Amino acid sequence: MTISFILNGEDVSLNARSYERLADVLRQRFGLLGVKADCRRGVCGKCLVLLDGRLAPSCILPVFRVRGREVITIEGFAQTDEYQDIAGGFSDAHLETCGFCETGKILVTAALLERRARPAPAEILDAMASVPCRCTDPEAIIKAVQAAADRRARRLYHRAGQ
Amino acid sequence: MLASEIYYPANVAELLDLMRRRPEAALYAGGTEILRTQSEPYARLPREVLCIAGLPELRQVLLTERFVEIGAAVTMAEMLELRESAVPELLALAIKGIGNPAVRSLATVGGNLASGGRFMDCWPALACLDAMAEIRDSQGMQWVNVNRFAAADGSPDFPKGKLLARVRVPLERWDFGALRKVGAKDYPSRQTAVFAVAARVEKGILTEFRMAFAGEVALRLREVENRLVGRRLPLDLRQRTAIAEEYRAAAEGLPSRLRIQFGTLVDGALEILAR
Repeated sequence: MTISFILNGEDVSLNARSYERLADVLRQRFGLLGVKADCRRGVCGKCLVLLDGRLAPSCILPVFRVRGREVITIEGFAQTDEYQDIAGGFSDAHLETCGFCETGKILVTAALLERRARPAPAEILDAMASVPCRCTDPEAIIKAVQAAADRRARRLYHRAGQ
Repeated sequence: MLASEIYYPANVAELLDLMRRRPEAALYAGGTEILRTQSEPYARLPREVLCIAGLPELRQVLLTERFVEIGAAVTMAEMLELRESAVPELLALAIKGIGNPAVRSLATVGGNLASGGRFMDCWPALACLDAMAEIRDSQGMQWVNVNRFAAADGSPDFPKGKLLARVRVPLERWDFGALRKVGAKDYPSRQTAVFAVAARVEKGILTEFRMAFAGEVALRLREVENRLVGRRLPLDLRQRTAIAEEYRAAAEGLPSRLRIQFGTLVDGALEILAR
């Protein structure tokens, strides 16, 4: 079965079996190792991708479900200004993550800031439930997301002024 | 591993035709219920799969003053993003109990109601709200109350070979509503179930009372609810004890831990009627 979709901004096609999970396809066929398939039940948040701009656990997504849709992994997202806002915000707040969950937390923040420019602490914690890794203090993640939101707001303000 | 045959119908008419010609094919939208129970590298899927996630007709939301109609392929995350008054609080609470936000961005209302193996999070809330479901096949369509998805013995009974196209949820005022999920949240087990209760009171008289509990089986005692309606509040201890006993008797077949939790939740809900 041939599946065509947009991956990190590029049109791709591949011959896949219906039972293949998107997480495995991204790692094995495209070498996108930022996607990690750990629990394979959509719980741990290490395999998160953006599917048409929304968070999706790629381990519970069979590859046939992405036909005609847009998938962005951390590798693709890292090329964007939004990534710079979030990475900068996390750095401003001195957020330290364990490495396994970092990509998930960045993508969760991206999806959240896309919907809410200034998310409340409760909204941040609710969104972060998609990455239940306990390496980070909840207060620290709130500060980091708020710092990312500040950077994003400043960038959009400057862009609007140009 | 045998690969499944995947079909992508372009519209509902084509889907219904495929369902008629391939009665064994499974409908697939979010697919969370199927894949969250499998941790093997390869997904075990039915032999034939009809992928309906992107069908525009199943992704519409219609909001009126009296009700909201939600297409079966609308995701839980999309429902929570509708404006607050568009989703009754009881239903919003049920949705928030499902997995995590990323899972909710895949899971659909249709899958939650019609997966068939067990009752999932939304059914008790929708049953209390008297939601209606539009069921279609190649012969036509009909609206049925979601309470009819539970057989007389409480087991799930979604009509086979039919399409759940949309759900109509009345937007009514409720004076009291509560929802609790018990048991494992991420991996539904025998001990997982959802309890929902809603009540309306006018001039000290209970004008509506609904209580539903569902996991592997559903429990809803319409006779008891009807008997309660019209009573003046508060109910005294003797009345509440008698009602609680009826619910406990109906829950005899549940696993022991679930039965105890159900009893506690019933007591808590009836406590409200004592105020």
